[in-house]
Amino acid sequence: MKIAYSHLAQSILEKPTIEQISDSLFQLGHEHEIDGSIFDIEFTPNRGDCLSLDGLLRDLAVFYTVEFNRDIYTEKLDDFLIDFENLSKSICPKISFLKLEIEEIPEVYKNTLNNYFKELSLNRNNFFTDVSNYLSYETGQPTHCYDAGKITGKLLFHEMENDKEFETLLDTKINLTGKNSVFSLNNEVINLAGVVGGKSTSCSKDTKVVIVECAFFQPEAIIGKSVKYDIQSEASHKFERGVDPECHDQVLRRFINIVNEHSNIKNMSIFSYNSLENSTHQIPINVKKINQVIGIDVSKEKYTNYLTKLGFVFEGEFVKVPSFRSDVKTQNDLAEEIARVIGYDNIPRVEINIPKSEKLNHKAIEKKLKYFLLDNGFYEVINPPFVSLNSDKSIKVDNPLDSNRKFLRTNITNSLLDNLLFNERRQKDSIKLFEISDIYSSNGGIHKKRKLSLIASGRVGLDYINFSKKVNLKYISSLFKQIFPEEVFDFKILSRDSLDTKIKNEIIALEVDIDQFSNDILAYKEISSPPKNFNQYRPISDLPSSFKDISFSLNDYSKMKDLQDLLLNYKSNIVKDVFVFDYFSNEKTEQIKIGFRFVFQSKKITLTAAEIDVVYNEIINKTLRIEGITIPGMQETP
Amino acid sequence: MSIHKDIPPPELKKDRGSLHPINHMKDSIMNLLTSFGFEIVEGPEIETEEFNFDMLNIKKSHPARQMHDTFYIEKKSNLLRTHTSPVQIRGMLQKKPPLAFISGGKVYRKDDDATHLPMFHQVEGIYVDEVVSFAQLKDLIYKIIYSLFGSDIELRFRPSYFPFTEPSAEVDILSKEGKWLEILGCGLVNPIVLENCNIDSTKYSGLAFGLGIERIAMLKHGVTDIRDFYKSNLDFLNQFK
Repeated sequence: MKIAYSHLAQSILEKPTIEQISDSLFQLGHEHEIDGSIFDIEFTPNRGDCLSLDGLLRDLAVFYTVEFNRDIYTEKLDDFLIDFENLSKSICPKISFLKLEIEEIPEVYKNTLNNYFKELSLNRNNFFTDVSNYLSYETGQPTHCYDAGKITGKLLFHEMENDKEFETLLDTKINLTGKNSVFSLNNEVINLAGVVGGKSTSCSKDTKVVIVECAFFQPEAIIGKSVKYDIQSEASHKFERGVDPECHDQVLRRFINIVNEHSNIKNMSIFSYNSLENSTHQIPINVKKINQVIGIDVSKEKYTNYLTKLGFVFEGEFVKVPSFRSDVKTQNDLAEEIARVIGYDNIPRVEINIPKSEKLNHKAIEKKLKYFLLDNGFYEVINPPFVSLNSDKSIKVDNPLDSNRKFLRTNITNSLLDNLLFNERRQKDSIKLFEISDIYSSNGGIHKKRKLSLIASGRVGLDYINFSKKVNLKYISSLFKQIFPEEVFDFKILSRDSLDTKIKNEIIALEVDIDQFSNDILAYKEISSPPKNFNQYRPISDLPSSFKDISFSLNDYSKMKDLQDLLLNYKSNIVKDVFVFDYFSNEKTEQIKIGFRFVFQSKKITLTAAEIDVVYNEIINKTLRIEGITIPGMQETP
Repeated sequence: MSIHKDIPPPELKKDRGSLHPINHMKDSIMNLLTSFGFEIVEGPEIETEEFNFDMLNIKKSHPARQMHDTFYIEKKSNLLRTHTSPVQIRGMLQKKPPLAFISGGKVYRKDDDATHLPMFHQVEGIYVDEVVSFAQLKDLIYKIIYSLFGSDIELRFRPSYFPFTEPSAEVDILSKEGKWLEILGCGLVNPIVLENCNIDSTKYSGLAFGLGIERIAMLKHGVTDIRDFYKSNLDFLNQFK
């Protein structure tokens, strides 16, 4: 909510700066941004009472001396004989209608009304609506203005269940469906209660006779309506969070006062309905309990002082909660009030000692399995569970994000297959992935299985021993055989027939219930360890990569180190990776053959062959400067 | 002279895989918390409205319960848990205080944009004993954040609102760029929640806290786009060894 600094400062005697008020707001828990001299505040949903200038001032009053100075009309008002029936008193237990007739419509706005539009740079609508909007800003109580001339017949408030079209005063047509609380006239909806009024009875620039509706609606009846019908409504935002049920008389009398500042009032009368029982809540005074909750030692004097400043009233053994604070019900609620005033950051820490519980070896098998897979070059992935395909056991999402995410997956393998293809499209030729996840299915009830799934395809590894070996059934099953000699696993070769790819590498997959693994795995000694540091991530490129291989022949073994030092640490902004993919040492001829693979990728552009060649040739030239190194099959340039 | 015996072959760089950075972060935080005395409890991702909302004092009218925020399944008979808090409820129903639980895992909310995913991860903790105070909660949060970000990090507590805690707070840390970043939510367990779990709230009190794992992993690793965690790109994954 936007509140002008100047409006706050006007009522605060100490005249704090914008920064001082900002600090106070943070301490009170009101997150905000400052735009020029306007606070844009995001109040937590329990603090509906703060959604107004005066509401916020009431909270700030704990730090400052606040004087409201809101003039109201104090004379007795005539009875307004409105033809109205409330058919849903539980939803609207309290409502008033004020009828006003003015002599002429003001051209120029004065005082607070003028200041409101000016400070917050708002557009005017029509006089009565403008007064109503201002009062919602000042008091937090939304009111709705009907053009009295258009209210011809019996006005009904009721909960409607049949579908109906409704044209709002925002010039939109909406189809009301399900349960809605509405005001209607002659069987037509003229107001979606607490959300938006209707066009047919709204005020215009010519309206001189107005009926102002001021109501309390149960938040439950309003919640969700503005989202459902896609209506931006400040009124519903306030009603959803709860308004002060005791403010109607004050608000309507303030309405009269502001109108009166602008025009002569010819007639005025009021109708009030109230079936709300005394809503005042009281909590026993218990300073000891408050101190226990917060962990401090606040004196009763301070306790009383703080709460009094926040509008709480002390009566005997009880604290009476003000009518606008429907969120305060328990000792813990009072403790939060006291803690806010002290400042959360000013509450000293008290050492905590949680009794140590017996440590269980949580998910020991799962952890060992993970490390066994990491040691063998598998990467862990996490996939969301939402899929488009269903089986007869799939769980259906009632409200999916889109039609591609209508069901919960019944296997992990399909997610891993997608991940594999994603990486193949990014020129990866050695892909080994796994995921462990709970998988849910519906079969006369909801069933949960914790599963491990893995997928592998392409080269066994990128090191020179495994580079030329391809992942196949034999490779994967022999890996598992080492650890689980007795167990049989259902490895699958996934067909590439229906996949959109030209790559031919065999895809091996396994999906198995975690509880199928025996304790044998616990004896496994892992090689990998969890990372010790949290590495700083280097953004990756999604542009295509390509590679070039260079093989060298060496007679002078001592040059091996120079060559590796040069190439493995080669710095270029288009060399993404370099590794030894081939190594052969011939003891008889005392000759070494060593092959390096260079992977080229730019973070900015798709590289051309020529751009790669520039760097490639530079690499070759630098290596050939090392004595005793030749590149077999390469003509020496003079 | 045979020189090659003195010259080792090139280092055999076996390609080891890596844990997913989110799971690694989750495990690191869970390990830290178990060292403080918390015990790990597990619960299902598919929950009932009763455990996900009602028992946690989240009223029927609360906006979070709307279809636009929560995924419901199988004709609204169940839902995908929106937080790991229902696991704490299940734990409290099973064990008498003093108790100290943590739970971690996937949670779901109906969001999908540059900064919100429909699936993300949380770790939550609860400690119930005789006389647990907000001042002790502060001590615990300081210890957690100092362990995660180092003891020279600046943090602040702000009053906030959660239906299941009272008083409630959000905690921000000061980034290197001088910006306050929200890092976790916490509070004293609302006595209504204790009573819902048959715990005498006149005798016992509790503290609770919850952290979003992605948020912390992003800060620790310098990942700027949350969606990168779930693309399963090997170029991404192999940076977290």
